Amino acid sequence: MTAISLSGVTKRYGDVVAVRDLDLTVESGEIYGFLGPNGAGKSTTINMLLDFVRPTTGSVDVLSMDAQREPTAVRRRIGVLPEGYDVYDRLTGRQHLAFAIESKDVSADPDALLDRVGLTGAGDRKAGGYSKGMRQRLVLGMSLVGDPELLILDEPSTGLDPEGAKEMREIVQREADRGTTVFFSSHVLGQVETVCDRVGIMRDGELVAEDSIEGLREAVDTGEQLVVTVDAASEDDLAAVRELDGVESVETDGGTVTVDCDAGAKTSVVGALEEAGVEVRDFTTEDTSLEDLFLHYAGEASYATAPATEVGE
Amino acid sequence: MSVEAVARKDFRDAVRSRWLLGLAVLFVVIATAFMLIGARFLSASDAQTFSTSAILGFMNGGFTTGLVPLIALVVAHRAVVGERESGSLKLLLSLPHSRVDVVAGKVAGRTAAVGVPLFLGFLVPALVAALGPLQFAPLDYLGYLVLMVVLAAVYVAIAVGCSAVTSSGTVAVAAAVGVYFLFTVVLGGINNALPLVLGLGGGPSWLPLTVGELQTLLQVLNPTGAFKIVSREFLAGTLFAPPSVEQRFQQATEAAAVVMLGVWLVAPPLAGLARFERADL
Repeated sequence: MTAISLSGVTKRYGDVVAVRDLDLTVESGEIYGFLGPNGAGKSTTINMLLDFVRPTTGSVDVLSMDAQREPTAVRRRIGVLPEGYDVYDRLTGRQHLAFAIESKDVSADPDALLDRVGLTGAGDRKAGGYSKGMRQRLVLGMSLVGDPELLILDEPSTGLDPEGAKEMREIVQREADRGTTVFFSSHVLGQVETVCDRVGIMRDGELVAEDSIEGLREAVDTGEQLVVTVDAASEDDLAAVRELDGVESVETDGGTVTVDCDAGAKTSVVGALEEAGVEVRDFTTEDTSLEDLFLHYAGEASYATAPATEVGE
Repeated sequence: MSVEAVARKDFRDAVRSRWLLGLAVLFVVIATAFMLIGARFLSASDAQTFSTSAILGFMNGGFTTGLVPLIALVVAHRAVVGERESGSLKLLLSLPHSRVDVVAGKVAGRTAAVGVPLFLGFLVPALVAALGPLQFAPLDYLGYLVLMVVLAAVYVAIAVGCSAVTSSGTVAVAAAVGVYFLFTVVLGGINNALPLVLGLGGGPSWLPLTVGELQTLLQVLNPTGAFKIVSREFLAGTLFAPPSVEQRFQQATEAAAVVMLGVWLVAPPLAGLARFERADL
């Protein structure tokens, strides 16, 4: 079954095209990471799934229902953590959850939900006094009300500290293990690497890549990164390494030499360094980081202008 | 029921602001003062025949038609746009509520937010009136309270309608201020000035109506004016009294005023909704 299906979706705001001819399908049971720098069109796309924003052309189906014609029926069966939301300052955490429970017409225990998202004991405080991270947990808790078939989370880790982001991933993973489909967006790759079955990368309103993380890695094939620990290395010593086939870049801070190269070039890199009179003490290889992968697709320039932790599209 | 859930949430949210308590206290003070002053003034003369309805009729001009619309507009003008600006609307619409539910729920919730303090605020004055030298007419008193809530509901509906149309809180404030002045000051002023401009009596020949009829028409179209007609007749006990021949016009005016109040209650939210339904949030 298909959880989300967008076909030929374009959204224009006046002259600005936020999303251009987007085709995207998320199968039931998948964890789908929706990636891209801020302003790439991720939130606009999610807002079209929720009928906050209407597509200029194209069709948007969620759980095989037209998102625009049956928005309430859709929202009854999904859980949402929207972007750019605010809580009701004067209502307590528990009242927020009670409202979600009442709205979805299900029976659920607010306290159990508070526990589930790590807000135990904070339910009687007014949400206006919550930190950004607590608000995020609260709204995540609201999204879990009624055990929805599909979770749509827009930048769920925003405002969370590393520990909170980890818990968020664990919650996502737990929901997915129960068979829930999860569609979530992020501009930070570290958050999705471990949980996603599949990722799609948006750039300037278009889906520029879509695959499993492994698949993307192979497709990009930017090789490996070799980190060599040495006694001392100078720029002159690196000249010979640069000459080698399969070497993309070489850098050193004196004590370590970092080389981006094809997997097959590793031994010759080490050989070349030793030949130049550098004592190699140790070396390790790392896969291309997802960050590199991301930059490759999303474009370094646009990513560099986006702050690492803020949202706002 | 989705509308009910939204309304209840909205009322709960509003109740927690100190606004409502302040409103109830304000109503207690004002209405009690009217009752006491009325009783004091009248005790010297023929107080026994003077009923609470007469005092309410006295309040009708300044307090009810001046203050109730103002309070309703203040309480409701940010109902939708405020949530849109802050982003809590996204939370609301992430749950299975339609935009119709949001607008209808807001009208109901904010009406309750004005109506409940009105009722509470008029309990104490009722006691004062009942124990004092005034003749307490409980049914009329209750009926008038309901009418006041209707007036509040009408202005809440207008404010929510404006609030749903715009994406800017500033515009919503301007609209509320404009509505207040148009209906309580400007239209009333025009109505008073009409005989001076058009001349007393039948008015100019190009006008198919007499000046008096034109004034009545303007008053009926204005929600405050329509309320004044209905509430005055209600307190006098002559609302929809069986017409004699010469009272047919009066009867038609009252019916039209009731209908207009209904129109003002429904049309502004619908108009606001028409825009809000199509809006990108």
